[in-house]
Amino acid sequence: MNTLTDNSLMLRVKAGDLDKMGLLFERYNRPLFGFFYHMTHNADASEDLVQNVFYRMLKYRHAFTGDGEFRTWMYHLGRNVLNDSVKQNKSANHFDVNELADRIGGGTLADESFEKQQDKDFLHKAMAGLSAEYREVLILSRFQEMKYDEIAKVLNINEGTVKVRVHRALGELKKKFFTNESR
Amino acid sequence: MKADKEMGCEQVRNMSADWLNDRLDNMERREIDNHLAGCSGCQEEFAMDKQLWANLGKMRVPEPEESMRVNFYQMLDEFKEAEKEKESFSLQYIIEKIREFVLPQWTIQVAFSLLLVGLGWVIGRKTSPETTKAVAYKEQIETLASQVEDMKSTMMLSLIENPSATERLRAVSYTSDIENADERVIEALFTTLNNDDNDNVRLVTLEALTQYADNPAVREGLVKSLLVQDSPMVQVGLADIMVKLQEKRSVKVLRKLLKKEGLNDLVKTKIEQSIKDLS
Repeated sequence: MNTLTDNSLMLRVKAGDLDKMGLLFERYNRPLFGFFYHMTHNADASEDLVQNVFYRMLKYRHAFTGDGEFRTWMYHLGRNVLNDSVKQNKSANHFDVNELADRIGGGTLADESFEKQQDKDFLHKAMAGLSAEYREVLILSRFQEMKYDEIAKVLNINEGTVKVRVHRALGELKKKFFTNESR
Repeated sequence: MKADKEMGCEQVRNMSADWLNDRLDNMERREIDNHLAGCSGCQEEFAMDKQLWANLGKMRVPEPEESMRVNFYQMLDEFKEAEKEKESFSLQYIIEKIREFVLPQWTIQVAFSLLLVGLGWVIGRKTSPETTKAVAYKEQIETLASQVEDMKSTMMLSLIENPSATERLRAVSYTSDIENADERVIEALFTTLNNDDNDNVRLVTLEALTQYADNPAVREGLVKSLLVQDSPMVQVGLADIMVKLQEKRSVKVLRKLLKKEGLNDLVKTKIEQSIKDLS
């Protein structure tokens, strides 16, 4: 059983058994896709980003020490990949937060009050309206079910900061969501 | 009292994220429960938080397309390929360089020539002064000749697996000087005849083998080879040799060959002719 932990698989990849990356892909492609999807709300872009993260893990496999958790390392790289991609697409406003909010909020709201659909749209819009900093802590804690200490390692900040950030992000989201809904 | 309650509210609300994330110890949880029981404002806030948190959990993520997996494995393959090339390039390059430095292609030839010159010199020195011991010398010469033949066999065997077709041709041509080819040489020739991917090398090998046609094993091998060959040139060459050797056993195999799919028309005519000539 021990040979199948994430860390031991990644260490095997590091030692030259590159095929083991396939197992890690099977384990993590969907959570990682989910993370990027919540961050960008763009499925095509998210697929590319997932691909990019796995490529980087192969390329920089020697940097994996095995001291920390594989998942933490993966999300850490994932954030970098996303940041690079945002920077690259800045001119095209690809992942621009405002544009994202417009894209999500617009169009789907028909006159009929599909309450649930509306709720979802409002929430999407509220999430998209958050800063990337707030959005990512909520995604990591809610969807990836990470503990604060793990989030702290992914983001390279201390645990106390994570706690404050989650609290503020939730407050911000609440404000956006419920004012939207009451509108 | 009022101030206390307000402080309490703020503290409690600060903990809502931890409460939702289930990160409170029992005491903290109890305190919050106590507070909520008596504070409708916080109750409302917590209800909102709870609803929001639950809604967040319901946010759907579409399934990634199957192409994502396909692309990943393709990327992995390409990456592996590139790594292998990088590795083998550096390793092979070094080995190749060392080999070239230590053992250039011409060294074998030079060594062989030097040996022959040396032998000639030895023979010359031994034979010229005293002709009376001619018999003894003749024996010596025979020994030397057989040693040269051995040398040629060894050279032939070492060259016949060379990646260069020219070198392999050279290897096969050495056999013209080998009168009594041993098993190893015959075997090497047949391996080349049946497996070499160069038509010319196979044709020359075929020719080389016919000189050992007295050997029954060689004849049998040639007959068997008929079915292995797919080049029309070699097939025709083999059929010719069968006629030349009057190898009756080949008729059966030749008939079988006629039934082979995709046989060249010219070859067909040739084989039919050969069968006629043999029977």
